[in-house]
Amino acid sequence: MAQSHVEHHWEYSYYPLILAAGIFFAVPLAFASMFQYENGLMAAIFAGIGVPLIVIGIAGWTAEGISDKQGQGYAVSGIPIFIVSEAMIFLCLFISYWMLRLSAPEWPPEGSPEIGVGLPIIMTFVLVASSFTYHFGEIKMEAEDGSGFIKWLIISMVLGTVFLLMTGYEYNHLLSQGFGWGTNAKSTAFYSITGFHASHVLVGLCIFLTVLIPAFAGNINQTFVKSAGIYWHFVDIVWFFVVSQIYLW
Amino acid sequence: MINRVLLLAAIVGIIVFGVLPVGAEDEVKRAFTDHTEEFHKVWVHLLWDIGIIGGIFLILSIYFMFAYRRKRDDQIGNGPKFTTMGMILGWALIPSFIFMADDFYLSAQGWKLWIDQRTVPENAMEVEVTGQMWGWEFEYENGAISDNDEGLVVPEGRPVVLRMKSDDVVHSFFIPRYRIKEDLMPGRVTYLWFYPKDKGEHVFTCTEFCGTNHSEMWGKVKVVSQEEFDEWSEKNKG
Amino acid sequence: MIKEWLFTTDHKRVGILYLVGSLAAFAVAGIVALLIRWELTGIGETIGGVGPDDYNFWLYFHGAAMILAFLIPGLTGFLANYLVPLMIGAHDVAFPRVNAFSVWLFWFAIVIALLSFVIPDPPDIMWTGYPPYSSEFSPGNTAFYVFTVHLIGFSSILGAVNFLCTVIYMRAPGMKWNQLNFFVWTILGAFVIQLIFVPVLASSVTLLLTDKYFGTAFFVPANGGDVLLYQNLFWFYSHPAVYVILLPAVGVMMEIISNMSKNPIFNYKAAVYGGVWGVVVLGSDVWVHHLYTSGLADWIRIGMMVTTLIISIPIGLLIISLVGTLFRGSIKYSTGMLYATSNLFLILVGGLTGIPLAMTSLTLHLAETYFVMAHFHFIMGIMATFAVFAGIYHWFPKMTGRMYSEKLGVIGFVLNFVGVNLTFWPLFYIGFLGMPRRYYDYAMFPEFEPFQVMATVGAIVVAVSMALNFYNWIVSAIFGEKAPENPWGSNSLEWTHCQSPPGPGNFPKLPKVSSKWHPHEYKPQVIEWV
Ligand code: HEA
Ligand code: HEA
Ligand code: CUA
Ligand SMILES: [Cu+2]
Repeated sequence: MAQSHVEHHWEYSYYPLILAAGIFFAVPLAFASMFQYENGLMAAIFAGIGVPLIVIGIAGWTAEGISDKQGQGYAVSGIPIFIVSEAMIFLCLFISYWMLRLSAPEWPPEGSPEIGVGLPIIMTFVLVASSFTYHFGEIKMEAEDGSGFIKWLIISMVLGTVFLLMTGYEYNHLLSQGFGWGTNAKSTAFYSITGFHASHVLVGLCIFLTVLIPAFAGNINQTFVKSAGIYWHFVDIVWFFVVSQIYLW
Repeated sequence: MINRVLLLAAIVGIIVFGVLPVGAEDEVKRAFTDHTEEFHKVWVHLLWDIGIIGGIFLILSIYFMFAYRRKRDDQIGNGPKFTTMGMILGWALIPSFIFMADDFYLSAQGWKLWIDQRTVPENAMEVEVTGQMWGWEFEYENGAISDNDEGLVVPEGRPVVLRMKSDDVVHSFFIPRYRIKEDLMPGRVTYLWFYPKDKGEHVFTCTEFCGTNHSEMWGKVKVVSQEEFDEWSEKNKG
Repeated sequence: MIKEWLFTTDHKRVGILYLVGSLAAFAVAGIVALLIRWELTGIGETIGGVGPDDYNFWLYFHGAAMILAFLIPGLTGFLANYLVPLMIGAHDVAFPRVNAFSVWLFWFAIVIALLSFVIPDPPDIMWTGYPPYSSEFSPGNTAFYVFTVHLIGFSSILGAVNFLCTVIYMRAPGMKWNQLNFFVWTILGAFVIQLIFVPVLASSVTLLLTDKYFGTAFFVPANGGDVLLYQNLFWFYSHPAVYVILLPAVGVMMEIISNMSKNPIFNYKAAVYGGVWGVVVLGSDVWVHHLYTSGLADWIRIGMMVTTLIISIPIGLLIISLVGTLFRGSIKYSTGMLYATSNLFLILVGGLTGIPLAMTSLTLHLAETYFVMAHFHFIMGIMATFAVFAGIYHWFPKMTGRMYSEKLGVIGFVLNFVGVNLTFWPLFYIGFLGMPRRYYDYAMFPEFEPFQVMATVGAIVVAVSMALNFYNWIVSAIFGEKAPENPWGSNSLEWTHCQSPPGPGNFPKLPKVSSKWHPHEYKPQVIEWV
């Protein structure tokens, strides 16, 4: 791996610290104020400090990262390593689900409504389609066709959003039947796994957004786009397991 | 060279895997023994075992540490060079098999004892134990009830099996004298057994962290004669 | 100046930030340990006004801070950050900004842990946090525990991605895998474990959070949950985590022992491929040995007894290499070397006392007693901690460009070694006699009082020696005399190819290593530059 010449000054960046501080205020402090001490005002204050810091941190960091062409080459290798970790989280959730399910005297436990399989199958098509459209975007990018890339990226984002809306619709439907998170073991497993997956879709969409905005200005960072793509395909693959374990089994 | 090393390794491996299971064979259908005595035996074996292993490594290191001190400032070490595959594998596989043999020896010992510890004798007296924050309740076959102040009263010379559950959090029931403990938790029933053969009082305690008064959850196992026990259990009925 | 430290992305400065944070955590958690010891010297309430709830919070803090905020960041944060890029001849890590982000996540986790001293209802659930106590019954702030784990966990995962990429892609031109420093191998092993298992820990504590605050039913048997699920997930991470500590600790020992006896590592390849990777592979299927008395099925306890015992094989290979490296060496003792060699004793005591614990039938008696507590203090609280100190002393001239006071160092070492032995041997003994862990009071065992007193005296001796060490580090870093360029005559790139302390970018030019070069070889060798 060639590293070009050495700069003789100390490197620095403001954004890691800002982002970490933002997370510190917005997550642990706000959460504990809200749920442990039941003090909504404190929670709002902490969230109010934390969320802007997070936004500044992410925006600044991506701006720096996208304009910095050097040293980014490893990202495409880093993402798959990171994904190993993500995969383990999903595995854990599935193991918990299996343990709950297989040790239960009856399944589904009392109080679980019928969960239809029609919607999840449509959702599968939507998500798979978005993986393909993103891939087309990458092909355009390699052909140096900026506007083609933007077009396919927007299509992928629309598909991802549709997926999330469908999840929302389904949740709404189930909740209205009194099937809440704590109702029984099945609901706990159901909402945790599908919810955790949906949060990954959401994160994916946010990453796409940070690709899209500079892309309008003609600034497309290849490794960034590829890394985002790998992540998106991973989220897609996990969905197959969600469907087969939660909906079809 | 490399072939010879591999052959040697294979032979050691076969011996180790082949011989050990024979030892553990006839244990399954044993009648009950007082497993504390067996415990003591295994414990002493084990102390010798780890004592010898530790001793060898320790004596070697201390000897090296003194014998090979630097004499001249520019002196460098003259350690063995591992250039051939035979040497590398030999120094890896032979110790590995020796360690493995010892591991299997210890496993076999532990397994044997384990079977004693987990096989409840048929004539055992049942006591139901319930843990809650922060106390115990004992319920006997005849309906007698006791708690940690009163103690777990048992007759001498008859094995006792405890069927245990918890009302709230995880606790653990531990009698050091009989070398046993097991957790209690909501949603499951666990068991333990022991053989009280000497009269007297022995401490039992809770050994799973369960909140503020975790260290107050203790009492005495009171081993009494059969007559005293009968009298006591009549009195505590209902 | 402040900007270049606070916002730095340079791996050396990030490493120093890790060092400062983890030593701060160690000092606070150590002082808390002294309070714990003080409370235990007598039966009943020993420190006026201190009740069981204070004690439980202290113990929670001591355990969680020592493991999560001192040892893991000290070894895989500070030492890895400072040394790995230098040892492999790289300018920095693969993702410097991510690296800075990791260190700050870790710092904020420490802040959360310290905040527990001032908030109402601090967590009191011990570092293991078993439900249903933690998820239903504890009045304490379980959320803080969970988020401490989350922040440190996330920081570790990012560190893992970072270092795996760094070592895979950024080695100096010509550097083959078999030419890596041993420490680099152990860091790779440790980070592979972190990458795979930290997510398990993170998810298990998240389930605690949702159970406690959102009413889910993972650990509520009445609603179909299972309390043992958590214990399994928790130890599925936390056992491998002990090897995250053990491996780099052995790595540091190996570096120092090889360097100070000017001897190549005894059977390097067996130690790397059999020892390090053997531990990584085998370490993942032994977690049930923490659940021997939890009421799991008998067969799984027996199965894991065998796998646990087998861990002694790869660790045995590591020990053979450690001891063998002394053989026909040319040994010189520095403070770092004293810590490293005394570790040979400590790792044997700590490791071999793991063997009775590994045997289910003996653990039926030993589990959750002071025997366990003495076991892990020997191997982790002392051995791994000594490894961190050895590392600090050995690379002190590299980090500061100055020399520490060898005399103070040796005095500190002797006191430390005597103190820890005085503290923890009596605890083995009363542990075997049945003294349970996590006890604020031991009124049932009045006969143990003299042993507890002895342990407290030992702890005070340790504290004195720690104060000497801290004094030595701080004063020598500022006023120490200039250190020679390569005081230990090492052949590893961090000594031969950059100044002390290394400047930005580490190497004036990238070193290029030939196939004859080896970091653990002490014959004069030629190295080219790119
Ligand atoms: C750095 C940390 C570390 C390390 C490396 C180890 C290493 C080992 N540990 Fe330990 N352990 C802990 C930290 C550590 N442990 C902690 C923190 C706890 C308590 C957690 C809590 O409950 O809070 C614990 C608890 C613990 C338990 C649970 C006790 C209980 O709660 O009931 C067990 C049981 O098996 C155990 C076993 C072992 C074994 C077999 C090893 C082995 O890896 C040791 C292997 C080493 C050797 C064996 C010595 C060298 C080898 C040779 C010289 C070769 C020849 C030897 C033979 C053939 C025997 N440990
Ligand atoms: C790395 C890990 C580590 C380390 C180093 C230590 C170090 C020590 N530990 Fe700890 N310990 C644990 C990890 C560790 N421990 C864990 C995981 C538990 C289990 C918790 C649980 O049950 O959940 C535990 C539990 C535990 C108990 C059990 C209590 C109980 O079960 O009821 C006790 C009791 O004696 C104890 C004592 C000590 C002592 C005396 C030291 C001493 O070695 C400490 C010495 C250090 C100091 C005294 C610091 C002094 C520093 C200074 C003075 C510097 C001056 C400062 C400046 C200049 C800024 N520890
Ligand atoms: Cu009950 Cu501890
Ligand atoms: Cu373990």
